[in-house]
Amino acid sequence: MSTIAPVMQPTPKPQQARVPTDWTTTSMQGRIRRRYRAERRFRLLGAGAVLLSTAFLIFLLVSMLGQGLRGFTQTELRLPMDFPAARLALDQAALAGPNARAALAAVDLEAATAQAADRAYGAGAYRLLSDGAWLSVRSAIQADPHILTRRIDIWVPTSTAIDLAAKGDADADAEAGYRLLDARKAVRTSFSTAFLTGSDSTDPTLVGIWGALKGSLLTMFVTLVLAFPVGVLSALYLEEYAARNRWTDLIEVSINNLAAVPSIIFGLLGLAVFLNFLDFPRSAPIVGGLTLALMTMPVIVIAGRNAIKSVPPSIRDAALGIGASKVQVVFHHVLPLALPGILTGTIIGMARALGETAPLLMIGMRAFIASPPGGLADPATVLPVQIFLWSDEVSRGFVEKTSAAIIVLLVFLLAMNGIAIYLRNRFERRW
Amino acid sequence: MISRTMGMAWAAPGAALAAALALSACSNGGGNASRDQIRAVGSSTVYPFTTAVTEQFARRQTQFKAPIVESTGTGAGMKLFCAGVGARFPDIENASRAIKKSEMDDCTKNGVRDIVEIQIGIDGIVMAESLRGEAMRLTPADVYRALAADPYGKPQTAKLWRDVNPALPAIPIVVYGPPPTSGTRDAFAELILQKGCDANPAMDALKKADAKRHTAICTKVREDGAYVESGENDNLIVQKLSANPDAVGVFGYSFLEENADRVRGIPMNGIVPTYETIADYSYPGSRPLYIYVKGQHLNVVPGLRELVAEYANDWGRGGYLARRGLIVAPADVSERNRQIALNFTPLDPATVK
Amino acid sequence: MTDTSLNDRATHQQTAPGGTLKMTARDVDVFYGSKQAIKNVSIDVTQENVTAFIGPSGCGKSTFLRTLNRMNDTVASARVTGDITLDGKDIYGADMDVVQLRARVGMVFQKPNPFPKSIYENVAYGPRIHGLASAKPDMDAIVEKSLRRAGLWEEVKDRLTDSGTALSGGQQQRLCIARAIAVDPEVILMDEPCSALDPIATAKIEELIHELRGRYAIVIVTHNMQQAARVSQKTAFFHLGTLVEYGDTSDIFTNPRQTRTKDYITGRYG
Repeated sequence: MSTIAPVMQPTPKPQQARVPTDWTTTSMQGRIRRRYRAERRFRLLGAGAVLLSTAFLIFLLVSMLGQGLRGFTQTELRLPMDFPAARLALDQAALAGPNARAALAAVDLEAATAQAADRAYGAGAYRLLSDGAWLSVRSAIQADPHILTRRIDIWVPTSTAIDLAAKGDADADAEAGYRLLDARKAVRTSFSTAFLTGSDSTDPTLVGIWGALKGSLLTMFVTLVLAFPVGVLSALYLEEYAARNRWTDLIEVSINNLAAVPSIIFGLLGLAVFLNFLDFPRSAPIVGGLTLALMTMPVIVIAGRNAIKSVPPSIRDAALGIGASKVQVVFHHVLPLALPGILTGTIIGMARALGETAPLLMIGMRAFIASPPGGLADPATVLPVQIFLWSDEVSRGFVEKTSAAIIVLLVFLLAMNGIAIYLRNRFERRW
Repeated sequence: MISRTMGMAWAAPGAALAAALALSACSNGGGNASRDQIRAVGSSTVYPFTTAVTEQFARRQTQFKAPIVESTGTGAGMKLFCAGVGARFPDIENASRAIKKSEMDDCTKNGVRDIVEIQIGIDGIVMAESLRGEAMRLTPADVYRALAADPYGKPQTAKLWRDVNPALPAIPIVVYGPPPTSGTRDAFAELILQKGCDANPAMDALKKADAKRHTAICTKVREDGAYVESGENDNLIVQKLSANPDAVGVFGYSFLEENADRVRGIPMNGIVPTYETIADYSYPGSRPLYIYVKGQHLNVVPGLRELVAEYANDWGRGGYLARRGLIVAPADVSERNRQIALNFTPLDPATVK
Repeated sequence: MTDTSLNDRATHQQTAPGGTLKMTARDVDVFYGSKQAIKNVSIDVTQENVTAFIGPSGCGKSTFLRTLNRMNDTVASARVTGDITLDGKDIYGADMDVVQLRARVGMVFQKPNPFPKSIYENVAYGPRIHGLASAKPDMDAIVEKSLRRAGLWEEVKDRLTDSGTALSGGQQQRLCIARAIAVDPEVILMDEPCSALDPIATAKIEELIHELRGRYAIVIVTHNMQQAARVSQKTAFFHLGTLVEYGDTSDIFTNPRQTRTKDYITGRYG
């Protein structure tokens, strides 16, 4: 071990004289200056692009908020209801019994409400009220039947004209009427939970977004539950198990193309297969979810494959080296490390699905449905379709409601993305 | 541990798919099972009225589920309506024109008999312009000459309204109107374009000689950009008219009424479109609005009879449908249709044209 | 270690010159597609000795090492012919479970690659998937034993829940050794374990190899001749895919029989 001979070096070859580069010529200096200028230009361009994007975003938010915040408010009129004088054929005992609903339905609350309005504010004053004002009276009675023995003031929604006048957007007559009522302290405009808890209606003062919101929630749930496992497992199989041959190349090209197919094609597919061939119920979230899942799955597969490809082979080798089987390597090591990338792809896919209108129109989720869906097979509509339908309504009161619905959609989108980003950060690991 | 993970991964889509199939099986989607929600499809013009009625119905008669109304257009709605009888098919069709013979044959072929035709009121196809535009006065012949693809069989060369009629202003012809899938477009073609076409005696002769060519010449609209199809969105047309004072829009009377502070109706043959002139049919663009109900569905879905009765109760002069822009039919027509609605008298196929 | 494994070893061991035979390779060829990487290599790995593979870069030492625990299976175009046995049983046979093989023949890689989990989890993962411990106290015992044997226990016993990747390079490599030890292997293969480490960490690893010798049959691939001279008792010299010379370390380094060996030893080529 100590008799290792010294290392031998080769002899150097003769060389020609070297001419050093002159770094101080004007052309050299010019090159340097141009280089710095190009750097500055590029930085300005980048900053400009960011500013432009931010400006678009701010413009969108400001215009939406400006038009839409009013949609969350409702104008109400104080209506003095004198129940004993109205002589309704209704008593508290009937309301406590099993036939409460029939008892209420038998009484003409509409007429009573109209008469109360006329009495309080003059003949023809019933026109100041919304068509559904009597529903507020009905709810008040249902909540507390004792009021039937008293005179009380109930706040009821006003008509669209008065509502618009309160927001400064109506014609002269309505404005005059509103000012009179305001002088008597008979009207108030306040934030209404009715918009968030109510369903679709033909009357803009009574309309609510909950029906469409619940439809969106159910549809997104079905989409996620179907697209996420199928997409992730496909990505895992294609990356880890499938042989590299012409068939898998074909599958990869097909999936990439599927991700770029216009969404309306999926709508046609849903119509042909799910509605006509398989006979699923029309306008149901289950069909909408299935159609959107078909659309979202390729996005998740592509993002998943890229995320799995980026897991370093050293981790796989380490796991294999201590005797983990292929399945164990994939599910204990590769998948957790690829999860942040997969979740990013899922966020993108789900956000796109949330805003999709065209394929859902084709499968019939475009109907007027006055109550929220009960389950996955009940007819429903989704937020973007609801916005589309409201933008086509005759009444002017729908303009602010449409913008308010857009705000709700944006908040829903932010919430969904927020959850996904939180999950992604929790799974983020450095290796 | 691995089998647990694997199991979870397979369980999720498996369970979801199983749930989906189970739900669909026990829902009212298949076969002749009965449904608990009334379904209406059809015209976008009748849509606002039917939705208002279904809403009132749902509020007053809380024992029934709220009906569903889809705006598909009259033609597409007829196809769905005539596709068959049973829980899978709609119960009511909203129509902004009468049912055609070909559609009636389709219905009979698929087993749909006992169709009840109820006229619910009248609508006016109005042509309107921005309040800031030059006041125009048109006749059906003017409109035909301005919008036809081959007016009277000759090529279309008019660029300004003055080219069509020297009394009209020298502004470019720009008309926003409904697309060919819309019943409003069918009515526009029948009430305005065909009238303008038939004003020429040569066309009258052609109708007897070659009916097909007559229809093509009289109803085909030019596609060089002067007539702009504006989808089913009439609010958009109103907005475009506000932006372009020279443009003309074609839409239903209810939109004119709602936006009277921005647009005004163009007189046709000297008649200004108002509630009265449409109601007594003196305005050329008046047309009746219908609903078609399947008598055979009375025992398929609960509440159908009550819903139609609600309609008949609400289409009167002081009713809330009138407040939403429905023009009431003449008294005798109203009463006749009320009886049809209450008794579910079926339509005689022989009377369909 | 269970009783049955002891019995297995007793029936299959052969005593050969230099020690008890643990793994043998006869006439092994390795092809990557059409290119032949290993030509006709025959070698013995004994229980009591540390065997070193030396040779210039690209001569096939790592490739041959990976045939010993069938890691070449992960490369689609690799093909191995010849006989490789563990305790007399052909490891490429149809009845050899590759997962079990890799638990019995562990591997430590050139660049330390602990899992991105806690130190405890890194060591406990192997025993968990092989079912070597069911209750927590048993698992704790295995983890502590492995970390002690790897010489890492004193440094990490208070921070077992810290991430394995937060350790220094030398500590990470010892963690990888502990991880390999935790599944109770019989052979440990080390593929240039110190090439990414500083001299102090290298010294610690070499000391560890001395301690582990005998309990596990160790095969170490190294491009550092002096390291081979320090740690091993048997040395194999590879050159361009063939095994040029194999013998006692002292013989190889003082009195090599082949010219190529002598040229490499004396530094005529690198």
